[in-house]
Amino acid sequence: MAITAKRREADASGHSDPQIAFAGVTLELGGKTIIENLSLGVQPGEFLCIVGASGCGKTTALRLAAGLYQPTSGRVNFDGQPMLQPRREIAIVFQDYGKALLPWRTAAGNVSLALEAGGMPAADRPARIEELLRTVGLPGHAGKYPAEMSGGMQQRLQIARCLAQEPKTLLMDEPFGALDAMTRQGLQDEVLALVAASGATVIFVTHDLDEAIYLGDRVIGLLPHPGRIGIELQVNLPRPRDQLSTREQPEFLRLRRQLFDFIKATEQ
Amino acid sequence: MSRKATIWLWRAASFAVAASFIALWQLIANLKLVSPVFLPGPDRAWASLMRGFSNGDLWSKLAGTLEHMVYGWLVASIAGIAIGAIIGSSKLMRTYVAPSLEFLRPLPVSAIIPVAIAMLGLTQAMALFVIAFGAIWPIMLATIHGFAAVEPRLYEVARSLQMSRLAVIFKIALPSASPDILAGMRLSVTVALILSVVCEILAGLDGLGHWVLLSARAFRSADLFAGVILLGITGYVTSVAMSMAEHRLLAWQAAQR
Amino acid sequence: MSDKAKALVLPLAVLLAFEAWARATHLQSDSLAPPSEIAIALAGAFADLSILAATRDTLLSAFAGLAIGTLIGLALGIAFGIFDTLNRLMEVTVEAIRPIPSIALLPIALIALGFGYRMEIVIVAFACVWPILILSRAAVRSIEPRLMEVARALRLPPAQRVWKIIIPAALPRIFVAFRLSAGIALIVAVTVEIAINPIGLGAGIMLAQQALRADLMLAYLVWIGIIGYALNIGLVVAQHRLFGRVALSGDSA
Repeated sequence: MAITAKRREADASGHSDPQIAFAGVTLELGGKTIIENLSLGVQPGEFLCIVGASGCGKTTALRLAAGLYQPTSGRVNFDGQPMLQPRREIAIVFQDYGKALLPWRTAAGNVSLALEAGGMPAADRPARIEELLRTVGLPGHAGKYPAEMSGGMQQRLQIARCLAQEPKTLLMDEPFGALDAMTRQGLQDEVLALVAASGATVIFVTHDLDEAIYLGDRVIGLLPHPGRIGIELQVNLPRPRDQLSTREQPEFLRLRRQLFDFIKATEQ
Repeated sequence: MSRKATIWLWRAASFAVAASFIALWQLIANLKLVSPVFLPGPDRAWASLMRGFSNGDLWSKLAGTLEHMVYGWLVASIAGIAIGAIIGSSKLMRTYVAPSLEFLRPLPVSAIIPVAIAMLGLTQAMALFVIAFGAIWPIMLATIHGFAAVEPRLYEVARSLQMSRLAVIFKIALPSASPDILAGMRLSVTVALILSVVCEILAGLDGLGHWVLLSARAFRSADLFAGVILLGITGYVTSVAMSMAEHRLLAWQAAQR
Repeated sequence: MSDKAKALVLPLAVLLAFEAWARATHLQSDSLAPPSEIAIALAGAFADLSILAATRDTLLSAFAGLAIGTLIGLALGIAFGIFDTLNRLMEVTVEAIRPIPSIALLPIALIALGFGYRMEIVIVAFACVWPILILSRAAVRSIEPRLMEVARALRLPPAQRVWKIIIPAALPRIFVAFRLSAGIALIVAVTVEIAINPIGLGAGIMLAQQALRADLMLAYLVWIGIIGYALNIGLVVAQHRLFGRVALSGDSA
């Protein structure tokens, strides 16, 4: 568990340089303030979850981290550099996998897109594609079009494409929001395993409080209108996590209650 | 009975019906219910068709028409896709230029022929211009629509992959717009055939249009019908070819349904 | 500036630039004329009624052909839509005749009927039959099966079934086919006139070209464009007026 060790080290020293840093970020879109004075640091290898009522700007915060939006004031830094545009080390898993995959390319072709963008020679791609599809549990589906796959498989495919970017940071926008409960739990564990293996930093946006606590090292709850941080919780649950035993731990239940009360308060 | 066998049986029955229509036509011609000057029997039309092919006359006429049609259509396709892509991918162009194009769309394109004749004379260049001008509209408007309708999420994927502008056009926008573009190209190929015939009639250019007109003037009705049948076959073959190309290129769309 | 105003910027700019260029170079051409002269020629053609007579001839042929083509196409389309057996039996025949470019019939119509309205009407009708046939067949086939069951339960005789259930149910989509065909009718009519028939707007524009009257030729072109546009707009408006709500409720059903 090299990753966990690295993470603890960072925690212990307390001030290793954050990989992603929001410094006083405000974003206005169409005359409305969506996010106000948001400051936030995400350590390398950290798994940060963002929750909040709908319209609190959690997806917007993610898009700022991705470089898809530029802040109206304040700065977003990645590895100490200002984020002026999206970069390949940062991969985004969109919620609407059906729209984010190229319907005219097969599973292999969709993964290949990221390799092409990264400039990998054509001869090296097939082996890498096969490896990536196996990693996300889609071996033998290389020739299928997205429309021939179930929702869960399509989301796995999108994750495979993101992994093909060999990202330092993975941004996930309610990736499992549209999936049924069984598929969702399976994918949660797979994402945890993939992240542990790659050591990537993750920002994971969800409206599912249990999911946030189950996955995260830290959970941030946003307040709406305009979006700002309302609560910040460290999740000190041991890893690897387990769908049954982790969710039964008193610490899990305590955090769950705390987060639930927060969300309930914001909705009033 | 298997489904396939049923389909073939219906096909055969349908062919039999078509054959009986031809027999009826033959009967009408044999009984001279319509003057043979206007209506040759299918036997005479067929004989004329075969004669035309064996002495090479019809081949050269067919080649002439196909040449006009295909060149005009290709020019229209390349220009239509290029212009459509430029207009469709820019919000600015869409607000300023697209309405003018929509205004011009219902213009009967053949009305441009006299202008083209005035500019270029009764020449091949005139025919090429007219055919390309007529065939460009369906392609260009379909391309504009296709480019404007690309899923915005895919552009974000492209941005996060830091793809170049060229890569975005060829890997995202063009394939995404390809169903629209191909539908436009299928419409255009029909327009191109019609305008080829019109230009040949007007300008006396070598082709089936000219051939049927000359045959009509000389009251050679068998030759006339042979030419019309050949034009029908040309229309049929091109539309089948386009459907097949669409089917192959858009196999991914079948998966979506 | 509103989007509508923005849409006018380009055409106005082109017209003004062309006018300025034509005046600056003292344009002498058989194919081009400055917009101001085109406008004057158009006004002149209205004043001596020549363009109005030509418009009447073209529209008469186009609408007569459209009416005949619509009737034939509708009758066949509805029959094919109702009787699947008939549809399957006629498939090869329809697919063999449909791809014949309408304009290829021109010489046949010419020797059989001579110059004039009749040959033009026949060719327009031939061109209009196919879109109407195919779209009305599809419209009839897509009628809610429940409606047909209602008709059967009510024991409506076949003629009433067609008149009271099928046509009203399929009408919104049939009108779309009609709108398409109306555009085709105008195009084919003008094309026949340009190619050979010495009547109407098409003949008018050809005569202007042969007389080397670029201003008059372009005036005709502009007028033909206006008619095409007006016809299209008129039918779109009619479609929204007549079927706006029906079409919507049909979609949601």
